[in-house]
Amino acid sequence: MVGPGGVVVGPEELLVYECDAYTLEKHLPGVVVLPRNTAEVAAVVKLCAQHQLPIIPRGAGTSLSGTVLAVTGGVMIALTRMNRILDIDYRNRRALVESGVVNAWVTNAVKGRGLFYAPDPSSQPACTIGGNIGTNSGGPHTLKYGVTTNHVLGFELVLPDGEVVWLGAAPDGGEDVGGYDLRGAAIGSEGMFGIVTRALVRLVRAPQGYKTMLAVFETVDDASATVSDIIGAGIVPGALEMMDQLITQAVEAAYHFGFPLDAGAVLIVELDGLTAGLEAQAAQVNQICRNHRAREVRLAADDQARADLWKSRKRAFGAIGRLSPNFITQDGVVPRSKLPEMMRFIQRCSEKYRLRIPNVFHAGDGNLHPLILYDERDADQVRRALAASDEILTQCVALGGSVTGEHGIGVEKMDFMSKQFTPDDLEAMRMLRRAFDPAGRCNPHKMFPGSKRCADFVPRKQVSA
Amino acid sequence: MTPDSSLSSVAPGFQRLTPADKKELSRALAAADRERQPIRELNLTRLNRVLWFTPEDMTVKVETGITLQDLQTALARSKQWLPIDPPHPETLTIAELLATNVSGPRRFGHGTIREHLIGLQVALADGRLASSGGNVVKNVAGYDLMKLFIGARHSLGFAVEATFKLLPLPQAEAFVQSQPVSFDEAERLTVAVLDSELVPVSLDWHGPIAAPALGVSGVGQAQAQAQARVVMGFAGTAEDVPWQVRRAAALGLTEPANLNYEREFWEELGAAAQTWAVLPSRLARALSELKAVRFVARAGQGLIHYTGGMRPPVKETDPGVRTLSRRIKDTFDPLHILPELPA
Repeated sequence: MVGPGGVVVGPEELLVYECDAYTLEKHLPGVVVLPRNTAEVAAVVKLCAQHQLPIIPRGAGTSLSGTVLAVTGGVMIALTRMNRILDIDYRNRRALVESGVVNAWVTNAVKGRGLFYAPDPSSQPACTIGGNIGTNSGGPHTLKYGVTTNHVLGFELVLPDGEVVWLGAAPDGGEDVGGYDLRGAAIGSEGMFGIVTRALVRLVRAPQGYKTMLAVFETVDDASATVSDIIGAGIVPGALEMMDQLITQAVEAAYHFGFPLDAGAVLIVELDGLTAGLEAQAAQVNQICRNHRAREVRLAADDQARADLWKSRKRAFGAIGRLSPNFITQDGVVPRSKLPEMMRFIQRCSEKYRLRIPNVFHAGDGNLHPLILYDERDADQVRRALAASDEILTQCVALGGSVTGEHGIGVEKMDFMSKQFTPDDLEAMRMLRRAFDPAGRCNPHKMFPGSKRCADFVPRKQVSA
Repeated sequence: MTPDSSLSSVAPGFQRLTPADKKELSRALAAADRERQPIRELNLTRLNRVLWFTPEDMTVKVETGITLQDLQTALARSKQWLPIDPPHPETLTIAELLATNVSGPRRFGHGTIREHLIGLQVALADGRLASSGGNVVKNVAGYDLMKLFIGARHSLGFAVEATFKLLPLPQAEAFVQSQPVSFDEAERLTVAVLDSELVPVSLDWHGPIAAPALGVSGVGQAQAQAQARVVMGFAGTAEDVPWQVRRAAALGLTEPANLNYEREFWEELGAAAQTWAVLPSRLARALSELKAVRFVARAGQGLIHYTGGMRPPVKETDPGVRTLSRRIKDTFDPLHILPELPA
């Protein structure tokens, strides 16, 4: 049905598919199939429907919340062999790609013509467009450019009964389609509504110029207040990222970018757009930083310096391996004006639970990434790490925020859903799922509180993401 | 519709509701659902408050009976706005904006309302209130139910509260236009703009403007040839907007312009307007085929609003999508007391 090399059943080969980048919980799928086209996906899905087997779609497996775990086994459908860019339509600013295409490949294919694909998660050299649709992925530059749902015009979805539908704009059609926005309703559904096989993505013109600044602060408080003031001043940076002292030290040790080791926090502020307006805005940002006692504001002198700065940011998670054998990463969100308060709360949690919690995050969106460091060999540390994580997310909700800005609910945060939503809210979500997947066979045991969890669930090693 | 109509006064018909608050709406819907009484009209004008507006977060939460204009006025006091400019903002409520998914010329730069909606509470057919999204600008907790209600024309529920992310009002704004040109020349200009460094917030064609065809032999035989003006808007800083105006002039958009063409089209012809969506690169051909009396076209999206001429070609909905849409309708409104789903 799926050609040579299209089925994985050997226990050792299956190990690759036992988890994603959330490694606290692992389950082996019964079988993994690697289809080569939509027809093969539909055939496999129909067969699974006949036998009432769970199906689990999988891209590159870079999800951070256990979204692609085969909780009760079943048939995992990995899209990695469907990795062709099918068409690039420069005039209409669109690309048609198979869902296994890696995010960064799209930008690489069109940047020669001054275009790019905007959503840029840190995992973009590995994660797939199909996976991005499943989790409605973001990234540093979504502050200005928006997330996946703003950049995917349409896509082909194999429904859990094997029916193939195209949702949203067709490759040869206008942007507006009648009827319900099923494209929008299915983006971010964490693979529970079917299997994405092809996608039509929007291409955006790259900005004419950049002003990328590194501002160095004595304290996290000063950096947080600067973020609030930049947003409050009506400036919309392309990206606005914070790294605290623990992170900058780890990144510096790993990559030697020249970060100051004694600074409380640094901000990366990237302004982009027309060169004509950038100078004045950069001066304004510089002044706001100085108002909050910035020790230094460095401007990336050229493209190389800018690329280095971004490399440091996107590799920050990797550098944590030097600090700790294990970590839990969260991505709760708070209203931007609550950032200073929330950062102080995380600091108090760190003290209370006697664990180091470095922070590297999308400050402009209020999207936190506290990394709770622990050692899995110490049962008490594991317990404290989970308790700290719980407390931080609960506080995000209490401040009017959300438990996840990018990573998704998956299996990891199912129990938080009832803190953020009422039973009626959750029932409305279940209703939508029933319309797409009446039997609940597609990526089961995710998202909703009370879903099946492995009885002997014990946190295990969380590798560096 | 009397302003004091309440649950009891709507009891006999349930056809029209003017609830005082969302709880009353919820109770009335539950009653209608029990009685299997269809609801054909809902007047939300009494739910018209700004619930909160946090300028430092650039977010606002409103009851959906507020008009877009009243909302924009409240936001403008803090130099912010909801970046959408559909026709008739003075009468358009947020509920209708969401239900009909209308937009205006600045859609080129800012997208449609789906791009700005970050939280939504809906009264479902059985009266239950269900929320999705939240108060923060980035949020992937739960399914994106919000999208389901945009453009759904109240067929799945009534939006009662909506939260939006906002943008600062631009420091400067300017519009420029071309001479009347042929559709093919308008396409050439559009491509030149798209390939340039310009970042317009609007990119429209409007017309047609009849002009005598050139080079046709025979006196008095000259056939009128349809032409359009290409109009482009810039919004940004005091530095970049003048720069863009100069750059646009070099491309051939030399005349100062404004959005009167847009306002006049909707004021004079809005009720008769039809809409056709095409691949943007096919705009020139589509307009030649349409033979519209008057049109405003969003060149970036391939969206043509027009009067006269042909009817828009009917595009068959994919049978799979039709089945899925029906299943959604049947799940959210099993007794079909809400308006039917849009075609």
